Amino acid sequence: MDKYNDTPVKLMLYPAIIFMILGMIFGVFIAFNTFVFPDYYSGEYVHFGRVRPVHVGHVLFLWLLAADMGLSYYFFPRLCGVSLWSPRLAYVACALWWLAVIPMVYSYPMGTNAGWEYLEFPSWLGWLPTKTLMIIAWILFAANLFMTIATRRFEKMYVSLWYGMGALFWTAFTMMVGAYAIYMVPGGISRVNVSWFYIHNLVGMIITPFGLATAYYFLPKIANTPIYSHRLSMVGFWSIAFVYAWIGAHHMIHGPISQWLQTTSIVFSIWLFIPVWTVVDNIFSTLRGNWDIYTNSAPIRFIMLGTAYYLITCVQGPTMALRNINEITSKTDWVIGHSHVSLYGTFTFFALAGIYQAIPTIVNKPLWSKKMADWHFSFNLWGSILFMFPLWVGGFLQGMMWSTWADGTSYAQFHNSLVNLPFLQTVAEMRPWWILRGIGGIVVLIGNIIFAINIFNTILLKPSEEVTDLPTTIKVQA
Amino acid sequence: MSNNNHHGFFHNLDKSAILTFLGIVLLFSGAVIVTLIAPRYVDPTWTTPTNAYQVQVYEVADPNLYISSAGGERRQFVYHLKQDYTLIAFQESDVLHIVSPPELEKYITRNGNAHLNLTSRLLLLRQPSAHYAEKISTLKKDLLQNWKKQNPIAVEEGLPHPSFTILELYAPTATEAFALAPSDTMLENWVDSNYSILDDTVKHSYHKDPGVIYVLNPMEYRYTKIKTDFGDTWTYDENGKKITDLQELKNPPLAFMSRHELINMGEHIYAIEGCWYCHTDQTRTLVQDVVLNGSDSYPAPPSSANEYVYQSISFAGTRRIGPDLSRVGVKRPSRDWHKGHFWSPQSASQGSIMPSFRHFFDKDPRGTAPNKIGIPNYQFEAIFQYLMTKGTRITPPNQAWWLGKDPIQTKEIIEGMKTIK
Repeated sequence: MDKYNDTPVKLMLYPAIIFMILGMIFGVFIAFNTFVFPDYYSGEYVHFGRVRPVHVGHVLFLWLLAADMGLSYYFFPRLCGVSLWSPRLAYVACALWWLAVIPMVYSYPMGTNAGWEYLEFPSWLGWLPTKTLMIIAWILFAANLFMTIATRRFEKMYVSLWYGMGALFWTAFTMMVGAYAIYMVPGGISRVNVSWFYIHNLVGMIITPFGLATAYYFLPKIANTPIYSHRLSMVGFWSIAFVYAWIGAHHMIHGPISQWLQTTSIVFSIWLFIPVWTVVDNIFSTLRGNWDIYTNSAPIRFIMLGTAYYLITCVQGPTMALRNINEITSKTDWVIGHSHVSLYGTFTFFALAGIYQAIPTIVNKPLWSKKMADWHFSFNLWGSILFMFPLWVGGFLQGMMWSTWADGTSYAQFHNSLVNLPFLQTVAEMRPWWILRGIGGIVVLIGNIIFAINIFNTILLKPSEEVTDLPTTIKVQA
Repeated sequence: MSNNNHHGFFHNLDKSAILTFLGIVLLFSGAVIVTLIAPRYVDPTWTTPTNAYQVQVYEVADPNLYISSAGGERRQFVYHLKQDYTLIAFQESDVLHIVSPPELEKYITRNGNAHLNLTSRLLLLRQPSAHYAEKISTLKKDLLQNWKKQNPIAVEEGLPHPSFTILELYAPTATEAFALAPSDTMLENWVDSNYSILDDTVKHSYHKDPGVIYVLNPMEYRYTKIKTDFGDTWTYDENGKKITDLQELKNPPLAFMSRHELINMGEHIYAIEGCWYCHTDQTRTLVQDVVLNGSDSYPAPPSSANEYVYQSISFAGTRRIGPDLSRVGVKRPSRDWHKGHFWSPQSASQGSIMPSFRHFFDKDPRGTAPNKIGIPNYQFEAIFQYLMTKGTRITPPNQAWWLGKDPIQTKEIIEGMKTIK
């Protein structure tokens, strides 16, 4: 146990868990203050447009990416059989990361939003070149892990390392494109195109490979069974590398971009079915004949539910890119549901499962309460259903309502349809779905507060009397 | 092969890892070249403006039209005219007559003449000097006679005749001047046929465009400082003080900002307020979109890439829980409507979930305003000017889609009378 220095893991994971709770509180706040009781708390610093990026910044960069970084500090050395190449470099990288990202995310209400989605980062906050610091932090983090791989003891590289290496490279490149290259292309649609490239790569080539790396590492670890097929996971890796970078433009279907670019993005979006099926097949097959562990272990349930949501997100993604389906779903709340099923339903669940395994190992104590972990899962299961399905159903219905404006054959008829169903009416029709979403958000938040308490109790308190079998298997493995 | 004889970085990062890395780089750069770099070279609409009007309104009109609300709630508009740069027309009407020294006669477009004369010489109009007094009294009589002849019914019913204006055209000695501009400046004066530029040499490249934006009948802007109960301010006064240079115009107390600066600031405000999380800025190539953004009689043409070429940030957007804004300059041109709407969106459009933006308003310093809405500050002016660029600049005013002159014939396309090749 001593041979791994886990301080960098703690430096990333502990704050990340707190920021997950804060980010979800911001999310619940806007779910109610914008959609259920619009503008109840009103004013320059609390209205939706200024708080939404705080929510997104939290859950995406302060929680999910940070948690993935922490988990990488955990499983890279263990898969390489050596300690982290330079813990000191990792401390610097962690410090820079938090120093850059926390002030950026909290500065949005003060009016620092740069205007590009997922890239709202201000270049400077006072004398602090925040955006550049964040990228430097990432490069230091990536260099450290690459060097760990280069100095590894285990010759064969497990699939998680492949995914991790890909993500390290893609992230560095994608972030630099988003941060700098976007201002090097001419103003207008070229920048919008770069922005979509960045956004989709952030999800597809950063969060996805990291999430899959954690799932591929922690599932066999917790279930104590080898992965079903290493080859299948390789197919998944290469198809992700092949496909993802091409599909950013599918966010602009029917929009003011060239038709050939739209078509290209649609074709590559359909290819996405391949990596998805490899992952889903591989993870489900790993548990084949071993399903009793599903009932025993909350982290396993998180991985399996996450995989189910991954299937949903990746069936939605390519089909939403088809022109006729896009016509209905695009620009509605369906899109919000879709982004939550991948970033929350899938990759947050994978990260939570990883934390359930990593933290007890690091602190060398059993999980404080298995029962709380079970509750955590149940709250997330029901909360996520209550949260995402209303957005899909409501969004789809909204898109169908908009499509009635195309009823008829003459402009007078089209316009008459619009008069009969004004835009604001289609917003009003969303209200019941938004109420359900808000309630789902509260359920999710409660579940994750239970999780945070459980994890920090594990870290801080003496092990409770409750017997848990989780850490024993870990001890054998690690 | 972690063989003890070899410790090189590349050796340890064994062959498969190097291949992985190369493969990733190769696939990634393929995507970057095709989807990020190629499009703007393949498709010229990504970088070229739609038409000469769009170019000139952004490059000529915006930077030289100045707006200020520092003088109270009534906004002031000023053109910055430059010798050999600004195109000016002097055009008479039924109620306006222009007198001039003989050498400037040729620059005047007389009433009834369909051919417009333009010049980049810096000329201005003013109240005629005493020298013209005799001529003016006969002119006024002529104008009145003319009006009576044309409006016999009005004469019979004893209606008052319109007030006739007679102005003098003169050549100031300066190379730049500041002229009073009309306050409804969403569309610029535009001429693309039956006109000539009466300069010996064409001074600017945009003067060779297939059409030109021009300033009509400019008079010098002058102002007087006034004292009021709530502090010192200023007001337009045709006998007041001249503005000597651009610095005086831009500095307090006048504090004018060019429309270019306001639009850029509006874009910034649109970004920091997060307007783009709820509003899209694209009319998609869908019937529902061109109908949603259309007027009562005509659909809005779908957005094209070249609408966005003058923006630093473009907010095409992801979701609509507020209506699309790509044609808002045409759909909602009223500044008063936007004032009321930013102050209280729910009262202006019932059922809206938009937050109110009261920080776009300053408190009424006198407390005597007839309504409770504060006085809009520069943030309001900026966001308003920014919004007014949406949909108004895609065609010259004489080919406006909202007048049914849509060049791409959106209406015919959605009614199935025309197919897209």
